[in-house]
Amino acid sequence: MKHLSDQELMRIVQGGDFSPASEIYDRYSGRIYNFALRFLKSAEAAEDATQEVFVKMIKHANQFQGDAKLSTWLFSITANWCRDYLRKADNKVKESEDVLVTLPAPADQSPDRTLEQRENALRIQRALQELTAEQREAILLSRYQGLSYAEIAQIAGCSEGAVKTRVFRAMETLKKLLSVDARGGDRCLNAMS
Amino acid sequence: MSECHVVRESLPLLLAESLDPASRETAHRHIETCAACGEEWLSFKDTWQILGALPAVAVPARARERFLDEVMPRQQAVVVPFHRRPVVRWVAQAAGVVLVAGAAYFTGHRAAPLRLFSQPATVAALRPLVGAQPVYSIAETRVLPATAVSPNIEGRPDIQHVQFVDADPSDGQIGVAFDLTSHVTVTGSPTDKSMVRLLSYVLQNEEKTSPARSQAIDWVRQTYSQPQYANTEIAQALAGILRNEQREGVRIRAVDTLQKLPARVTSNGEVTRDALIDALKNDPNPSVRIKAVEALSKMAGSGQALDAEAVDSLRQKVAQGDENLYVRVKAAEALSKIHQQ
Ligand SMILES: [Zn+2]
Repeated sequence: MKHLSDQELMRIVQGGDFSPASEIYDRYSGRIYNFALRFLKSAEAAEDATQEVFVKMIKHANQFQGDAKLSTWLFSITANWCRDYLRKADNKVKESEDVLVTLPAPADQSPDRTLEQRENALRIQRALQELTAEQREAILLSRYQGLSYAEIAQIAGCSEGAVKTRVFRAMETLKKLLSVDARGGDRCLNAMS
Repeated sequence: MSECHVVRESLPLLLAESLDPASRETAHRHIETCAACGEEWLSFKDTWQILGALPAVAVPARARERFLDEVMPRQQAVVVPFHRRPVVRWVAQAAGVVLVAGAAYFTGHRAAPLRLFSQPATVAALRPLVGAQPVYSIAETRVLPATAVSPNIEGRPDIQHVQFVDADPSDGQIGVAFDLTSHVTVTGSPTDKSMVRLLSYVLQNEEKTSPARSQAIDWVRQTYSQPQYANTEIAQALAGILRNEQREGVRIRAVDTLQKLPARVTSNGEVTRDALIDALKNDPNPSVRIKAVEALSKMAGSGQALDAEAVDSLRQKVAQGDENLYVRVKAAEALSKIHQQ
């Protein structure tokens, strides 16, 4: 299966044979899961999103257009799922929940370095939550998934111009929250230790 | 909109390296000459880089299992070890349903390059046609008519838990059931090309298929020893086993089955004849040699001409002092049958 293209695998699924499911999952689950995790800041929700996105991919395989990019389609489903999730009242991104605390540390790394990386990651994750959902979706797809604005527009259901604005605004906010100045205190602390 | 604003909105694209060359050139020129935008560029670059420090998290392993369990539930009691099953009729009936219901779908599809395992004829898909609560606890099972399956098996599918469905007395249809990713049963006439190809695959790819090869051979013999089902491809599969199988017991079964096949089949296929000759000359097991010479004798007796090499081999056997006496006698008998013609 590994040598088959996404489109070829999907054609098999569309024919009623689900055997490519694991291969497609292995190709995309990491990207889908991390997108949802960063979008929703909840490991539990990200896991549910991943599950439901791939199940939907199998069960609604016929909705996939053979000439489309599978990644774009999967991210569309994921983004929809995440938006729905946030729309439900109980699921507002929780301030207290820091999913990255559990990140394993590479064994060959000093505890200080590990701590610093975790703090950086937490700061980024928190900064992302300051964005509007639309901005967050756009910057996540652009910065971490490398999607073009045209693809993001398709996923978000907006114009490319709107994507451009969303990413720009996201960057403006993130710049303020993450810039060297904003981290100045930490830098000094690290330099002194 | 000012040039500054246009350039600033493009900065993320510049960072993502997805700005077209002309716009990139324009943006860089502007950044170099406009101090405010130059500063914005530097801080965007910084931010972009910081964002990159957010590590990707591995998907929990349980998530994969959960997904695969949902879309491809494991087989339950459907898979039983090889033996004749009382449910044969039941499977055959379900197959009949599929055949009828699937006929329209498959019309004209036969010529398409089919994968053995990519047919949409799932029983589940047919449920609405046959009612809500019938025999079909085989919902995860798909039954395919052999006529809908391409005779060209692509690659070497890893088929497991092969079972055989005996001939249905009413129409003579046989079946082969196996697990691929779901449980598949292919049913059809013993003369159907796809059925033959599938059986031949099952026979010859033991490491890929799990029933004991001897049992597979025995089952194949039941059907293909009947004159109306004479089939060269099955004979060739058996010849392949005779050549390549390590276990003597299995070679004996293969050669014994070859001998029981309708004579015109074994003598038509050079592959079969050559395998028999080789077995006669080289097989270390006397029982295999005995069966081989019996098969050759039967071929000679049926009026089929044996080539010069075969005749030579038989002569050598007759003359070979240290050979099993029975083998020598049978070889002589075969020769006499040839000479009588
Ligand atoms: Zn400017």
